[in-house]
Amino acid sequence: MLVRRCVAGDAAAWEEIVQNYNRRIYNICYRFAGSSDDAQDLTQEVFIKMYRTLSSYDSSKGAFITWVTTITRNLLVDHFRKTKQDRITDSLDAASSAHEDAQPLSEQIQDQSAPPDARVRSREVGETVHAALAKLSPELREAVILRDLQDFDYREIATVLKVPEGTVKSRINRGRAELARLLQRTYRQVM
Amino acid sequence: MPDHTSNGMQCHEFDGLLSDALDGVLTGLQLNAFQAHARTCSACRPLFAEVEAGRNWLKDLTEVEPPASLVNNILASTTGVDSQRLRVNVSASQPRSSRLHAPWWERAQAWASEAMQPIWGTVRQPRFAMSFGMAFFALSLALSVLGVKPADLREVSLRPAAIRHTYYSTQARVVRYYENIRFVYEVESRVRELKRTVAPTEAPSGDSAPDKKDRKNDTTQQPEQKQERNYSQTGNYLILASAPLGPSVFDPLNQDPLNPDLPVVSVTTYRRFV
Repeated sequence: MLVRRCVAGDAAAWEEIVQNYNRRIYNICYRFAGSSDDAQDLTQEVFIKMYRTLSSYDSSKGAFITWVTTITRNLLVDHFRKTKQDRITDSLDAASSAHEDAQPLSEQIQDQSAPPDARVRSREVGETVHAALAKLSPELREAVILRDLQDFDYREIATVLKVPEGTVKSRINRGRAELARLLQRTYRQVM
Repeated sequence: MPDHTSNGMQCHEFDGLLSDALDGVLTGLQLNAFQAHARTCSACRPLFAEVEAGRNWLKDLTEVEPPASLVNNILASTTGVDSQRLRVNVSASQPRSSRLHAPWWERAQAWASEAMQPIWGTVRQPRFAMSFGMAFFALSLALSVLGVKPADLREVSLRPAAIRHTYYSTQARVVRYYENIRFVYEVESRVRELKRTVAPTEAPSGDSAPDKKDRKNDTTQQPEQKQERNYSQTGNYLILASAPLGPSVFDPLNQDPLNPDLPVVSVTTYRRFV
């Protein structure tokens, strides 16, 4: 087992773990934090924490991926709390800012000319959904990310989020519905 | 969400089954009841549509590619072996026969570097580097406080005779220091005794007030010798020491038995008030 080899001091095993899980963790961080820079920093933090606490992993308590995702989620929540004040300041500045990122979602779409092909359109839709996802509350966002983007089952999500399965399902439903409402509003403004 | 019953299913039950319905795991009667509720309930029908739409939107989000440097950065920040590993891989990719033909010291060096690699990787972590830095700083501070100079260490001879000599000279220095301390204490105690003996005869009895004043101004923080308070000088007596009758041993020329040449002894007595 990789973890056991890694705890025994096998550097190659640790490298294998990093190779296997960096993509998944980076994607969770990117979808939750919203920016590539933050996602990169957070992914590194996750692996540093994982490296330090690897010996505490108990395979009888759950799958390794669940343990890794729990670490990721806890760090994301910490990061969210730490940057809360910054976001409040940013949102206050957003109205007067001339930066492209500060524009409302509908304006961002309006400003763009008709996409030349389906690939570009698909990328733009992806960016729009990503921006809408960032507007969800963190509780709904993490549940939706784990279910719809990372394909975790409800029990695993319940373990990671430390809430009952019923709560997980309810959060996923509310997150999806909220996302749809945001996007419908956005596209209605564009049309 | 308003909770009312429609087609045998309440809205909170519908909400609970929503995810399962979208996942396609509902079957039989449960599926029928769910679908019937979705058709008839004015609150749950738009909710179902929104949840389904939200899920479809999320399908448009594809996985993003992490930056190429991410793995290297992670390895560098955890084990610090990114560049070392490459070097080890390069050396490992060399033919084994060529390594066997290498001189023994090169083979030993390669073996040592491979063996030390995990330790070195751990040691190079920022937290360990910081700890070593702090330890070095503390050690250098302690040495400078103790007066040890690195330049002196260069002159230290490591020959057994020199080490023995250093040991004995250090021991002698310590003993001398101890003896000196003892000597100082002895001198102090003698001086104190002398003062105790001389001071009461010199100081007039009516000078108690200036004494107190002096004591107030005393900044030496020495405790008062309270034991002396219980003693007072009662007086000096001149007494004649008795001597056995017979020829005087002091003045052989004095032959008067009634007026012998007796020695005069001065005795000072102290009485303790209880």
